[in-house]
Amino acid sequence: MTTRSDPVAIFRHQTPGAQAALLTVLVGALCLALEPVAPWLGAWPTAWTLPATDWVGTVTEAVLQAIKPVARWFSRLLSYPMNGADWLLNITPWPIVLGVTTAVGWLLGGVPMALLGFLGLSFVLASGYWSESMNTLALVAVSVPVALVVGGAIGILANEVPRIKTAVDAVLDVMQTVPTFAYLTPLLLLFGFGPVVGLIASAIYAAPPMARNVILGLERVDPDIKEAAIMSGGTRWQQLFQVELPSASTQIMVGVNQSLMAALSMVIIAAVIGGFDDIGWEVLLTMRKAQFGQSLLAGLVIVVFAVVIDRMSGAMATERKKHDTRVFYGLLLVSVAVTLLFWARLPNPAEFTALAPVADHVDQALTTFTVANGATLDAIKNGAMFYGLLPLRIGLDQAVLPFTWGFAWTAGMSAALFAAGAGLCLVLAWRGRLTSGLMVMIGVGVLETGITNLPWPFVLTGAGALAWVAGGRRLALTVLVLLSTILVSGLWDRALLSLYLSGASVFACTVVGGATGVLCAVSPLAWRVVRPICDMLQTIPLFVFLIPVLMFFQIGEFSAFLAICAYAIVPMIRYTRHGLVSTPPDLIEAATATGATPWQIMRDVRTPYAAPTILLGLNQTILYGFAMLVIAALIGTTGLGQSIYLALGQADVGLGLSAGAAMAILALIADRIVQGFAEERRQALGL
Amino acid sequence: MMKQHMSFALAAAAGIAMQVATPVHAAEMGAVDEPIKLAINEWTGQHVTTHVAGEMLKAAGYKVEYVTAGMMNQFQALADGDIHATLEIWSSNVSDEYAKKIGEGTVVELGDLGLDAKEGIAYPAHVADLCPGLPAWEALKDCAPVFAIAETLPMGRLVDYPADWGTPGADRMTGLALPFKAVPAGSEGALIAELRASTERKSPLLITFWQPHWAMSAYDVKFVDLPVGNEDCFNDPAWGPNPDAVNDCDFAPSRIFKASWSGFEEKWPAAFEILSNYQLSVEAQQPMMGAVDVDGGAVEEVVAAWMSENEGDWRPVVDMATK
Repeated sequence: MTTRSDPVAIFRHQTPGAQAALLTVLVGALCLALEPVAPWLGAWPTAWTLPATDWVGTVTEAVLQAIKPVARWFSRLLSYPMNGADWLLNITPWPIVLGVTTAVGWLLGGVPMALLGFLGLSFVLASGYWSESMNTLALVAVSVPVALVVGGAIGILANEVPRIKTAVDAVLDVMQTVPTFAYLTPLLLLFGFGPVVGLIASAIYAAPPMARNVILGLERVDPDIKEAAIMSGGTRWQQLFQVELPSASTQIMVGVNQSLMAALSMVIIAAVIGGFDDIGWEVLLTMRKAQFGQSLLAGLVIVVFAVVIDRMSGAMATERKKHDTRVFYGLLLVSVAVTLLFWARLPNPAEFTALAPVADHVDQALTTFTVANGATLDAIKNGAMFYGLLPLRIGLDQAVLPFTWGFAWTAGMSAALFAAGAGLCLVLAWRGRLTSGLMVMIGVGVLETGITNLPWPFVLTGAGALAWVAGGRRLALTVLVLLSTILVSGLWDRALLSLYLSGASVFACTVVGGATGVLCAVSPLAWRVVRPICDMLQTIPLFVFLIPVLMFFQIGEFSAFLAICAYAIVPMIRYTRHGLVSTPPDLIEAATATGATPWQIMRDVRTPYAAPTILLGLNQTILYGFAMLVIAALIGTTGLGQSIYLALGQADVGLGLSAGAAMAILALIADRIVQGFAEERRQALGL
Repeated sequence: MMKQHMSFALAAAAGIAMQVATPVHAAEMGAVDEPIKLAINEWTGQHVTTHVAGEMLKAAGYKVEYVTAGMMNQFQALADGDIHATLEIWSSNVSDEYAKKIGEGTVVELGDLGLDAKEGIAYPAHVADLCPGLPAWEALKDCAPVFAIAETLPMGRLVDYPADWGTPGADRMTGLALPFKAVPAGSEGALIAELRASTERKSPLLITFWQPHWAMSAYDVKFVDLPVGNEDCFNDPAWGPNPDAVNDCDFAPSRIFKASWSGFEEKWPAAFEILSNYQLSVEAQQPMMGAVDVDGGAVEEVVAAWMSENEGDWRPVVDMATK
């Protein structure tokens, strides 16, 4: 029998959320109280770290040397199709490439698609980057089939052997979250030098979407169809290839489309290695000179490719009506005729400079804007730093100083802040919302201390408790083990810095992106404006945007914060809108019938229904936020992203891989926790 | 790292001047039918350096191929013989991979290029108005608040090299006890963007920079005069204006040198000799860099023009190896 006075019984009596929050608050308070006598609670002592990065380095190098001959052979094998595609695309006169693209566009989607292909490639031609673009296209043309075969094989394997599915899922996550720069050094060692390494890197990144869609597609094949295939007595192979895969084809085409986009977004990485003169290399050269207009032009070429390929392969994924093949052949014929007719006078595409003045103009506009708005830009940056980012990073007790807030932070203020937090907590608890009250307490503690100064036991408990609420004991255990590896590997401080920067960005993206998503869901006009911006943000190499951000706000965390937001906000907008507009019509009808206003429908019907989708968007935003850390390091941030560049410079395989793994761990933990909550919501809604 | 290899540096004069008193016997040409692959890195000066060398090899009768290669990632390629030579390596930001490959013996050094590099703490010219007393380094002691920003207050901000190039700027600030906080730039593009914004907005900026670089003239960059140092400055705290710290002096001079694949000498003996003796000075390289980056010329054309005007500078190096 339990009595009211037994604290354990009271604890047991609470909801899991309240229990988790209570535990976190207790550990936090304990750390705060004990820190003066036990400093090891605050910062993990260096003496306790293991030389894990060295071990990783030694083991990896031994393994790499062992499999190097096979890898080199593989790399040589791949170089044949690569050089072949490169040769073919470069030798083909440009009117024919233009004609073929337009003709294929016609076949896939009639006049609009043909026009898109024609205008897109005309833009590439006018940019003067024709041959560089063809090199890029050759890379994509070989890396995507490799990614599709590998991804498809992984997908089929996971489908045939359900036991390994969890493991496959983890492998796919790792392929997508460990930044490429982290394993660039081992990749170069293994596969030698040149475009083939870029090709392999982009195939590694582009394979997971294919694998995921194959798994999903095969899972969704109608059981009746499967049964029919079994009844007709085919072997397993026949069932798979003649029945199941064809019926999953629409889903698989979505995978093809996503693979293509992923491969294109990796073009810039191929350029960092070098080996051939592609469009990514142009972006890097102009970026190095801080020529915004020129690098934007080169970047837009990649965007154009992405849009053309996306729309065309997207059309392949959906059912479509047949278009007249005579027009197709007619277009081909015209392009051949033009080529032959003007053979001798065909201008060299490298000499097209129609867009050069535009690039110069854009560059000039950037200068004018910076000069005119210097003071405003500084004010924005200082405001954001003083009142947002700095307190979040180092806590109010260090960030509030006479020259930032106009006064110094005192112990009394800390006490008052905690008292206010505790008061609010009590009020909330009194009204039966103990969990919210405790969360307020945790928030106050984090704000006072700052994310990078948080005691490690508090972070471990907090993350573990959250994981427990979201996904039960197993997830909590996984999270604790993974976080502990970061702790003992000596990368903890950097991981917290990264956590702070992506955390702040994800928070801002959630608020701003969510609001934009709602606006786009309500107003189709807004979506028409926002959609192309989203497309561009996702495919243009983000290096391009670093220049204006740097010119406006200089090197530092605010610039990095903005750069991360520019990329990570897109999924939040897309998924929020998608979730809100895809509420089943009968639900809305029912609500309208009861006399609900549009606003009430939005709040009480659409939003709860869209919650799982929005959470998925949040999950993508988190992953993107972490992925951008590496790019953000180019504007001088100091977290794990910087470690990866340091490792590249020092050819330190161990440090690179460990920092990459730490980044992936943070992203995966966030991902699994959010997915846990999303699953819970989905079940609550009966989906 | 800063060890000076004087053998070739001694022979460097203005332009390419490589007259060794008595020409030794001509070397074998080797595999003239196979192209020699030269690395093209990310910056224009290197493009000029490499194209001049490439044209010299062509004049000697070799086939040459230019291969783009990331500066940091090229050494594995060099070790594997996928690239045969790279001609402008800066000791200030060479990756540790280079030392590894030299240790393995898969990459060999071809001596100094003869480019006289200078690194230092620098500022765009207009900053002298904001901090009177520049270029003397002592002026920075009182000017620090001028350079302060949100993240560094009350200290001034120094934009240092990207972290993977080392932290020479931060070392100077500590060494000279200047109230500046060094912020790593993250990339060269970030350094240039800072210079550009500062010049256009006439805002204060202190930066770690180097020459030859096209931005030196484009943004009128000046170096701060730091105490002239010697070896003791880096080892003995007592030396220099700050009795408590090392590094209280100017930057140690950077070496700029060339390297090749270890099989190069055997495969193309004469080409090896040409590249080993190849020298290019700042006076020759900087105008070509300007012609490309500021006037928008193509590297091939700019280099071709220079080659025909300065044949006396480079022809003897080719002749000595081949005749």
